[in-house]
Amino acid sequence: MGFAHQNTLRGKTAVIGAGLSEVGRVPGRSPLLLAADAARKALADAGVRRDQVDGVLASAAFASSFHRFSVAFSEYFGIQPTFSNTLQVSGATAATMFNVAAAAIAGGLAETVLVVGGDSLLTGLSPDLALRSMTESRDQQYEMPFGIPVANTFAMTAHRHMKEFGTTPEQLAKVAVIQREHARRTPGAQMTKPITVDDVLTSGMVTSPYHKLDCSLISDGGAAFVVTSVERAKSLGIRTPVYVLGCGECYTHEHIFLMPSLTTTGAVQSSRKAYEMAGYGPADMDVAGVYDCFTGTVIMMLEDLGFCPKGEGGRFVEDGQMTYGGAIPCNTHGGLLAFAHSGVPGGLFHFYETIRQLRGECGERQVADAGLGLVHSLGAGFATNATTILGTEATL
Amino acid sequence: MIKPEEALIKPLPIPDGDTATFWKGLSQGELLLQHCLECRHVQYYQQGMCRHCGSVRLEHRAASGRGKVYSYSVVYRAPGPAFKNDTPYAVLLVELEEGPRMISSLVGGDPERVTFDMPVQLVCEKVSDVITLPRFKPA
Repeated sequence: MGFAHQNTLRGKTAVIGAGLSEVGRVPGRSPLLLAADAARKALADAGVRRDQVDGVLASAAFASSFHRFSVAFSEYFGIQPTFSNTLQVSGATAATMFNVAAAAIAGGLAETVLVVGGDSLLTGLSPDLALRSMTESRDQQYEMPFGIPVANTFAMTAHRHMKEFGTTPEQLAKVAVIQREHARRTPGAQMTKPITVDDVLTSGMVTSPYHKLDCSLISDGGAAFVVTSVERAKSLGIRTPVYVLGCGECYTHEHIFLMPSLTTTGAVQSSRKAYEMAGYGPADMDVAGVYDCFTGTVIMMLEDLGFCPKGEGGRFVEDGQMTYGGAIPCNTHGGLLAFAHSGVPGGLFHFYETIRQLRGECGERQVADAGLGLVHSLGAGFATNATTILGTEATL
Repeated sequence: MIKPEEALIKPLPIPDGDTATFWKGLSQGELLLQHCLECRHVQYYQQGMCRHCGSVRLEHRAASGRGKVYSYSVVYRAPGPAFKNDTPYAVLLVELEEGPRMISSLVGGDPERVTFDMPVQLVCEKVSDVITLPRFKPA
């Protein structure tokens, strides 16, 4: 289905501030405090006061008992927004927050929205909350009785990808090696020691084909962003607004056994929708932030987001196409595999990096002349997929 | 709230309105699939309507119990204390002869010898007075 031109979200909103809390092992800080830390920095970055925020979109936190995290956050932060919601589509929530923020602003529900998340999976989970998240993550009748962690659902897709396309354990491992190399240049990253393909393959099997180093980290941390209308961005005199150009989502199943294909995901539909709205294609993207809960996830996403043909993701990675000098530098901060992974805020870190790349602020990690960036978030065994395309003024 | 000792107990399904007949069937040794009387779609996940055509005219029929491994993953690090003593164990995505896929796990075979397309056979494993789990052994 095409988009009626007058209804497009393209270029209606801009990200004018980005903030990051300390990430990695950050003991003694609640998810709300991590979120507030990030939000304070995002507002300072934008030059916007708290009372100028009239909308709050947040992700839920595992290490917090608040069901209405966005509401609890607003109280904690001392604001009374007239638009607020806590979104929950697992790992895809990060991009959906940007998509919903853009729609809310373009549709008049709010003028300036704080997109925020914070969680402390590493040091903040009480034993009770940890057990609950482990035992309640999949369907109680059809999945959990068989001892299937969410990692297992992703593992089965990667395994099938290996069977269908000949993707190798070495190619999966290469994703972790490349992103670790990226993280070495990212201040504050959780894992910066270089690793080799062999290190990954000998790190111990967790759930085949995934070894320990094929799996994302467990971290604490928060991120926040200020999204506003282009008119407000102009009136505030923002120097380097980053525009929301394209938004897309797709939800193909809930249960892994009802996933239509184990090797082609809803990222095909979500990214196609985002590309159509933006008026750009995969070859136009200068940088990408791709949700990387596992190494094989990245390989499948590079295909489904259109950066390489189906089945060739492994070779694409092996050939160095997802790093500097390649077709699409991807997860230049190190991603969930090496920078940090504090649940949904981990997906917000991809936004933080992509926005900083588009603002030209990434120092030695900078991708030259980055004008267009794609961020893709996904979750729950590829049940949820969401894409956001961002661009500089020149790409409008 | 889950207490640590409760976490040692494997989670057991609690039948609901959609699944009562299904779990009763298993306790009698039958894996019941829903057959749509309008479009012939066959579904494993029990629900009040056909996911393909929307019809509510569904009929339970016992599956043959034959299937093959569509995908799998051998678990070495368990998702919580309840499954710790079972590792390594093979979680299977079984494609039934009738078409639908389902999640199960291997019994009576070496988990590290599971392969794609391996033929498997249903084993009804009674785990409580109410619940019998559908598991699979090498055929």
